[in-house]
Amino acid sequence: MTSDPTQLKAVKTIDRTGIHFGLARVPGTGRVFVGSSDAKVYSVDMAAEKPEWKELGGGSGISHAGYVSGVALAGPFVVSGAYDGNLIWWNSETLEPVRKVAAHAKWLRGVTASRDGRFIASVSDDMLCKIWNAQTGEVVHVLGGHQPLTPNHYPSMLYACAFSPDGRFLATADKVGHVVVWDTIAGTQLAAVETPLMYTWDPKQRQHSIGGVRSVAFSHDSKLLAIGGTGQINNIDHLEALARLEVFDWQQNKRVIEHAGDKHKGLVEHIEFSPAGDWLVSAGGDHEGFIKFLSLADGKVLHQDKAPMHVHDFELNETCDGLYAAGHGKLVQFEFKTPAPPVPEQPALPTES
Amino acid sequence: MSHNFRGCCGSPDHGLNRRGFLGATAAAGMGALAADMTVLSVLKDPLLAEEIKRQEKRVLLLWLAGGASQLETWDPKPGRPTGGPFRAIDTNVPGIRISELMPKLAQRQQHTAIIRSLNTKNADHGGGTELMETGRPKEAGLAYPDLGAILARELGRADSPVPDYVSMYTSTEGRHKGGPGFLGARYAPMFLDKGLAPENIQRLDSISDLDHQERLDLRGLLSTRFARARENSGIGSHNSAYSRVRGLMASEKLFDLSQESEAMRVKYGPTQFGQQALVARRLIEAGVPFVKVARAWWDSHGQNFETHLELVTELDHVMSTLLDDLGDRGLLEKTLVITLGEFGRTPQINPSLGRDHFASAWSASLSGCGIRGGTVYGKTDDDGIKVVEGEIGAEALFATIFNALGIDHQKNYYLGARPIPLTNPGTKPIPEVLA
Repeated sequence: MTSDPTQLKAVKTIDRTGIHFGLARVPGTGRVFVGSSDAKVYSVDMAAEKPEWKELGGGSGISHAGYVSGVALAGPFVVSGAYDGNLIWWNSETLEPVRKVAAHAKWLRGVTASRDGRFIASVSDDMLCKIWNAQTGEVVHVLGGHQPLTPNHYPSMLYACAFSPDGRFLATADKVGHVVVWDTIAGTQLAAVETPLMYTWDPKQRQHSIGGVRSVAFSHDSKLLAIGGTGQINNIDHLEALARLEVFDWQQNKRVIEHAGDKHKGLVEHIEFSPAGDWLVSAGGDHEGFIKFLSLADGKVLHQDKAPMHVHDFELNETCDGLYAAGHGKLVQFEFKTPAPPVPEQPALPTES
Repeated sequence: MSHNFRGCCGSPDHGLNRRGFLGATAAAGMGALAADMTVLSVLKDPLLAEEIKRQEKRVLLLWLAGGASQLETWDPKPGRPTGGPFRAIDTNVPGIRISELMPKLAQRQQHTAIIRSLNTKNADHGGGTELMETGRPKEAGLAYPDLGAILARELGRADSPVPDYVSMYTSTEGRHKGGPGFLGARYAPMFLDKGLAPENIQRLDSISDLDHQERLDLRGLLSTRFARARENSGIGSHNSAYSRVRGLMASEKLFDLSQESEAMRVKYGPTQFGQQALVARRLIEAGVPFVKVARAWWDSHGQNFETHLELVTELDHVMSTLLDDLGDRGLLEKTLVITLGEFGRTPQINPSLGRDHFASAWSASLSGCGIRGGTVYGKTDDDGIKVVEGEIGAEALFATIFNALGIDHQKNYYLGARPIPLTNPGTKPIPEVLA
């Protein structure tokens, strides 16, 4: 293992006004695609000395008309989804638009791609998840399974989705903490788990709700499903509860880790497992941001620290010793490499008298 | 002093009726009014006072407690860094666009005037609430009545069997009862903080109706004797409140939604706010001149857009249903529906995707009685940070409300010999939004 979470540090910060919700990285490079609150998708080479923000489709007349909530890389395409309900396929090299699809009737909350690049999944407040052929843009499956209203008669939201690394499974998660695992190929529901503590309804003081599941991720063997959000909130004016993580053996419907939080407040916005299966990393925040590593062996915190911003999305690098994060007003590159072993002290040479 | 009361259409039906006035005031007992702490200057012209009340104008205040975002309601700024994620949509009035969270109200824009230029300067919950409830800054040593109390005084009828001022505030956060200030307890709200109906207004089973009436009569007799020997304004206020007990007890059914059809209850929706709005309509229909329904709590420092997705969606449905229902019953032209809170929310979006307190450039709406619907008054800059046209404060808004109801905003109350105008001298209403 080359990584050491305790060595986490920000090595590069790029400031830019706006809220950067989605990030996808070209493998093996520092080039990332970023979806932002100005309804645009950008290509940014974070490895460059002076990174430029190149707008995708600039001048093409094709763009989003709402916050870009997610971006995903699938083969030669970057696929972006936005609150306007649309998906746009872009050529990742030329940055030109390939197709635009009216995907959902309400806000599109998240986009993800299967690792093999075959499928795109999108989730929306129309409470549908749609699986798309990533190459042709055709709908493969339309998945229901989430209620349009909360138990308190208000609109619910379908916040998060993630494929398993082998692409066989897809998880979707909503505001009230209902998480469904789907068979990607068959388009059928395989299991459901509940995380009700991530949804707070205040019936007395403020009479509305806050929270919801904001992130899901499968372990590399697809057996574990990590779910992120926030805990029960007393004063729902603020994201004042500790960031919450639960990990399930989803096939057994058994929660194997409950991390109610211990330091950082707010939402867990994104989760990834280490390929070796020894830890997971999560990030998010409230007014401030955090990054947290959790041991999968015992559910304990390996390391956690403030991030320079509320993190909305991140991606681990291939060597699993760094990550690229997008969030409120910033892109940040982090590293957590195992420090080089100390150079053995050279014995002092005898001096001639 | 000239009286130019809007809404007097000139019909003989609205003509002054001296006999009716004298009868009504005699029945109610002018003594109770005169014993009050203040004397309405309008009582110098009692026929006009009666004229206002005869028009049976009413007000329904939807109090958006905690501070709703103007950007997610009446003054959207789509595409701007401050605009947030919601789009603006066309209304049925060309040129007026509001948040996409209000599609139903957008189709009823002809009833509503939007005021987009409030700069009330006080972004503190307590101070802002007091300011927007009374329409003027706090003054040491002087307890101003709130809007409900003033309108209970101005629009209520002494002989009315129903309450003059009903206020619903069931959430606990920011709950503020408001009150009559120097007008005295006679104009205090019937305050519903636990459910849809007032508690303890039923006659005890152990007391017969006759017994209850006789007890009241005896109390009244003793109290009148007590008051005769003393000059104390509090006694008059106290007695006046007691004199209304029978009426309040009789109003119990007004709060009972089982009196409404299932279809009507469904129309208003399943939420408590919806059900309260239906009670409010029943009260308005029965002649209650001022009803406040507080919908708390909008204070979205975190997750502003999720909060507004819930609350504005609900407001859109409930207020649209109200406007339709009042219209269907012929009540909308006599009922002023107001949306107002203590302030708005910052254009800047914080890292928790929240908006904070903001009183420098925010919005309110006025619909129905005395209002030129389908209008927008005032303008904020492109990012909604400051007012660039038609800036007004709380007093001008209140002056506009008074005028819409046919009340002279320059009228004086008297606290002893001290004249206290409804709005401070120099305050002007907004003629552009008045019918």
